Amino acid sequence: MISNMIKQILKNITGKKNVIEVPDKLKILPDEEHLTDLINGIDRIFGRSLRIRQVDAGSCNACEWECTALVNPIYDIQRFGIDFVASPRHADMLLVTGPVSRQMELALKKTYLATPEPRIVLACGDCAVDSGVYKGSYAVTNGVANVIPVDFYIPGCPPTPLQILAGLKQLMEKLSSRK
Amino acid sequence: MEKSYHRKVLIKKHLNEEYYEVMREDFRDVCTYLEKKGGILRLMFATDERQINGTFRLYVVFSVPGKDAFSIIVLPLKDDLTYPSLTVNIPAAHWYEREIKDMFGLFPVRHPDTRRLVFHDPFPADSHPLRKDWKISDEDLKTWGEVSAIKSPSDFLQVEGEGIYEIPVGPVHAGIIEPGHFRFSAVGETIFFLEPRLFYTHKGTEKHFEGMSFSQGVKLAERVSGTSSFSHATAYCLAVERMCGAEITEKAQAVRTLLLELERLYNHIGDIGNICAGTGLALGYAKGAVIKERLMQLNDRLTGSRYLRGVNIVGGVAKDIFRHTEDIMKTIDAVTHEYKDLMKFLLGTVSHIERLENTGVLSGEIARKMGVTGVAARASGINDDVRKAHAHLLYDRLYFEPHTQARGDVYARMMVRAAEAECSISMINTLLESSYKGELSVAVDKAPAYSCSLGYTETPRGSVFYWVMSDEQGKPVRVKLRSPSFCNWPVVPFAVHGNIVPDFPLCNKSFNLSYSGCDM
Ligand code: SF4
Repeated sequence: MISNMIKQILKNITGKKNVIEVPDKLKILPDEEHLTDLINGIDRIFGRSLRIRQVDAGSCNACEWECTALVNPIYDIQRFGIDFVASPRHADMLLVTGPVSRQMELALKKTYLATPEPRIVLACGDCAVDSGVYKGSYAVTNGVANVIPVDFYIPGCPPTPLQILAGLKQLMEKLSSRK
Repeated sequence: MEKSYHRKVLIKKHLNEEYYEVMREDFRDVCTYLEKKGGILRLMFATDERQINGTFRLYVVFSVPGKDAFSIIVLPLKDDLTYPSLTVNIPAAHWYEREIKDMFGLFPVRHPDTRRLVFHDPFPADSHPLRKDWKISDEDLKTWGEVSAIKSPSDFLQVEGEGIYEIPVGPVHAGIIEPGHFRFSAVGETIFFLEPRLFYTHKGTEKHFEGMSFSQGVKLAERVSGTSSFSHATAYCLAVERMCGAEITEKAQAVRTLLLELERLYNHIGDIGNICAGTGLALGYAKGAVIKERLMQLNDRLTGSRYLRGVNIVGGVAKDIFRHTEDIMKTIDAVTHEYKDLMKFLLGTVSHIERLENTGVLSGEIARKMGVTGVAARASGINDDVRKAHAHLLYDRLYFEPHTQARGDVYARMMVRAAEAECSISMINTLLESSYKGELSVAVDKAPAYSCSLGYTETPRGSVFYWVMSDEQGKPVRVKLRSPSFCNWPVVPFAVHGNIVPDFPLCNKSFNLSYSGCDM
């Protein structure tokens, strides 16, 4: 593997190029090519940077862990120019998980209002879509769309990191067709 | 004391559970006696049995020390809906009694803190969802969600004195974590007092169980707390199976045991990595995350779910994990290697270890009194593990000892996890060596009318308990769930007292409690 890399570096020097291809062995994502569209989308629409604020509106926490997994070195979502930020004031998009429990309803609304416009809302996970297994419980509001306007849905319980990435890609397509 | 011991009447015996009915005036004495004798308060709950026998009932479940048995004290409440609070003598009952007050409207007399626990201010007063005749108007539901919490200063405990200031944090936090509100009273940088206000993620789970059949309930139990999905589902299924008198096969037991340990492993390693995020050790965090991801991908290959969902069913399991023995062995081998590497790196990083030592100390005495469970208990010197104390599944065949540490700090909690992760690895390898008899699942009969039973196991965070009761048609009358986080949240304020505010995330990560599991 290392000798391959050295070869590549030498090639770059002679060819005056700056790229090093990722060696096959290090590739963990099987469908990496599909993601180039995502990168292009972010480049075009958000100027190479998409800032997401994740809001847990009463999820079981599995959806959050999948978002956390997106930042680990294997999925490394930051390489696409996407990152999770600490404040809604810094965010282009809210990624909401959970069925929106009644006791989180107000906090979610306030977070939404604190996000600068135009704000995109992504409902992530079956709970966020229609409150999933919690449908009908007195303590939930049956989905994010009942509380704030939603632009896009990613179903799954929880959606895997790859499914979230694929969802983001579709979202890009939807947004670029809107323009 | 001794006298009161005789004033309880054995009303029912079911497997290792003994139910004793007591009179109101003896309730506190009997419970206190059991606790003094070394019994651990496992859970406490109420039921609305007015349609069955005209009473509400309180159940207090104790583990009998040194024996695989539970003493369950039952107190019927008919006209007078109050009972003597246990909290004065048994502090571990603190939150249970407040919860029962919110959910059933049964009032603990002489409880030192009778504020609401589960419901926030806008929830209508005198409304108790777990009562069978409970109804709520759409109007009230709307107000509950929309109206801002009235800011009554008396609601939070206040610390007075020179130089004390309050820092309110949450419910929406900076990281990708669950919601909860924390109110710090600090002197300079030092935390003097912390009051958490939780239950933002309250989803009415226990009530929701009542509207499902027992077999549908598995799906809900899996979704109480994401990273303990499998343990919750196992405890729930065990409870239902015990109630129905079903014996699951050896094979099903083996699959469950194996997956419980896989769940423990990915959590413990992930948690050790996450503690690094609290000290800013990026490399440790990244390494932990990579190992965890490998295990999650293994879970996915084994069960089709990264959180081991969809395997447990009432009566056994749906998937034969032992078909993948080779894959598990290979992955575990690689993981063991990387994990040892990670621990070597962490223990050799002085700047990391120094932050962990003497931070977030939870004394053994407080841990015992408050009924702390799991990793947090064992790190404070309490030798308690439900896998050992009430051996279930194949745990009586596996050799292991609960790992304890004495110091109760963040370091101790990390080291307990490290020891348990290694123990899980060896258990997994041992389990894979043998073959197991029987079908994956057995048919389970309808539950006998008004029967009930406990189910339990050890999640990565600590013990989880389910108690189920069925009606004449074999449908749930009551499903009580008690997640480990419910026991451990009340002690976080004790552990952070005297620490600096910037160390709070570190302390919090070392406990790694679930909000969703606690809030239900
Ligand atoms: S969609 Fe599933 S994983 Fe996500 S919060 Fe809901 S129950 Fe949990």
